[in-house]
Amino acid sequence: MKRVATIILNRNLPEVTNQLCDHIVHHDGDVTDVYVVEAGSDHERLSRYSTWHANWPEAVTHGLRYSRGINYGLSQLWKEGRFKQYEAFFLLTNDTELQQGPTLTPLLSVLDRHPRVGILSPCSKRWGERFLLKEQSTRYFWFIHNNAYLLRRDFVESVCNEEPLDPMDFLFDGSNFRGYGSESELIAKAYANDWAAAITAEVWAAENESHLINRADLIKTEGYEENKRLYVEEGRRWMRRKYGFNSRWSMQQYVKGFYDSFFQHYPEFQSYRI
Amino acid sequence: MIHQRLESFLHKRRCTLLGVGPMSANCVDAAIELANEHEVPILLIASRRQIDSEEFGGGYVNNWTTGAFAQYVIDNDKKGKILLARDHGGPWQSSKEKDAKLSLRRAMESAKSSYRADLEAGFQILHIDPSIDVHGQPDVDEVLDRVFELYEFCWGQAQQMRKEVIFEIGTEEQSGSTNTQEELDYTLNAVQQFCKKNRLPQPSFVVIQCGTRVMEMRNVGSFDSPFRVADELPAEIQLPKMVEICNRYGIFMKEHNTDYLSDEALQWHPRMGIHAANVAPEFGVAETRALVSLLEDNGLSMLADRFLSFAYDSKKWDKWMLRDTRATDRDRSIIAGHYVFSKPEVVDLKAEAGRNLAQKGIELEKCLKEQVKQSIYRYLHNFRLVRSV
Repeated sequence: MKRVATIILNRNLPEVTNQLCDHIVHHDGDVTDVYVVEAGSDHERLSRYSTWHANWPEAVTHGLRYSRGINYGLSQLWKEGRFKQYEAFFLLTNDTELQQGPTLTPLLSVLDRHPRVGILSPCSKRWGERFLLKEQSTRYFWFIHNNAYLLRRDFVESVCNEEPLDPMDFLFDGSNFRGYGSESELIAKAYANDWAAAITAEVWAAENESHLINRADLIKTEGYEENKRLYVEEGRRWMRRKYGFNSRWSMQQYVKGFYDSFFQHYPEFQSYRI
Repeated sequence: MIHQRLESFLHKRRCTLLGVGPMSANCVDAAIELANEHEVPILLIASRRQIDSEEFGGGYVNNWTTGAFAQYVIDNDKKGKILLARDHGGPWQSSKEKDAKLSLRRAMESAKSSYRADLEAGFQILHIDPSIDVHGQPDVDEVLDRVFELYEFCWGQAQQMRKEVIFEIGTEEQSGSTNTQEELDYTLNAVQQFCKKNRLPQPSFVVIQCGTRVMEMRNVGSFDSPFRVADELPAEIQLPKMVEICNRYGIFMKEHNTDYLSDEALQWHPRMGIHAANVAPEFGVAETRALVSLLEDNGLSMLADRFLSFAYDSKKWDKWMLRDTRATDRDRSIIAGHYVFSKPEVVDLKAEAGRNLAQKGIELEKCLKEQVKQSIYRYLHNFRLVRSV
């Protein structure tokens, strides 16, 4: 039985997706099954690894983006009775680039050594967080901004919504379409439920933004700059509507409150505190 | 007493103190007036390129020497609300020392001479920043040795002159990258030990790289950006950690390059516990924009063009340019404008403009000062130095 379910989001970039899937199967195939969510892709642009095709009109027109896409993939696993067979879920967008060699085996080893880590993120080569991961390669953070996460199933089960099993609510809040602030919400939920969020420098993953910059028309999305603008604008509206926060700094303080209190209850993990 | 006064003020107001770069005579007047009108302390933070002693040929701001500048401020600051501060004092911080490629010993002597002039003139805050070395990149311990030498010298001089002075240490170098917690911890610990051993007062401020970086006419650092900046720690992580370390050492955290941040970002400064922040070029740019608008809106476009062309030719915009800049020539002129305010050609040009505008009932210098005051006021308000209710 494989320990991990890898879920990759694709929208009209089959070559890029196939390449990523090939890489994972080649290097980590012994520990993971690979599932691809087609987030409203055209029929002729499905990945050969395609698992589930979100082909309802709304998804075809606008896509699913990270929150709804991941919710869809996870809830499909649940519906199909395969959710509980995995220990963890590796969630990726198709523009993720991984190191040559295994990624998941080292990540699983980190999860094994850190029993309260619910969210684990590889550190990219160009992140400033590397400065904090010199002596200890894995530490716990209150802020992680990434599209590649390994989530422990026990953690997901502690916060997910089984009803309704749909792309809007399973894990992320799908009403925040582009997802600005969603990772902070998930991290707050983790610490509030006694799970930590960690970054590790033992492996790296990076987002290749060139696809979003150069192939926006193929992906059928807004241009890169417009996307960024909408990502922040919609996310800020969502934060205000849901939490009454008018600033990302309020969200950070909110998350950090849970982070600080986690270490009061788990002093044995104090050395991983940044 | 200065430190205690600031501490008590910060404690009562839960605010962030503002350091204003004296970019021009109008900017200095604007800061003095606002500090007196609202009865709040404002730090006037003069770099050596802006204002330096006669020995170094003064600076580009109003052709003031250190003494003349201090005298002007002290005379006009009726309620004594301004704190005169030296920003980035130290070896090779003056263009003269840099251009002459002085040796280390000569550059240190030169820096001491500049500090002596600061103390004689009545400067109350000295920033000891020996991080620049035209002959190579000194390591942390070499920089610390130079800090100690200058610190001891300045304190000794102040004692002899019976002047009260407090110190600022650290640098941000506009590198944009963040100093690590370990570096900060190491530096503060070493300075604390040094001060204890030599019975010197602890420094009051330490400069922390908070993710602010000024290029062209915007802040391109991570502080105000919802997106990652490569090789930089997100401000969401960096800031709370640095505040924590500073509080542990009982030292005020000072941010440099705060210019052009959004109101939202500024409003979070006091809430996050940033004790003080420096702003400089934004005020110079505000005045330059106001000058050009006044000229262009009042049929004096010829004078505006002459001024813009003179500013452009100064090339003072060069160091502010982004690598992939899209700045127009006009943008470059506006960035460089305040550097040339005191050049004879611009003084004459402004006098001519002043005469023309006076015929329309417009007082040029008053209008310019008001614009700078508005620009400074944005910070006073967002930093909770001035409250609307």
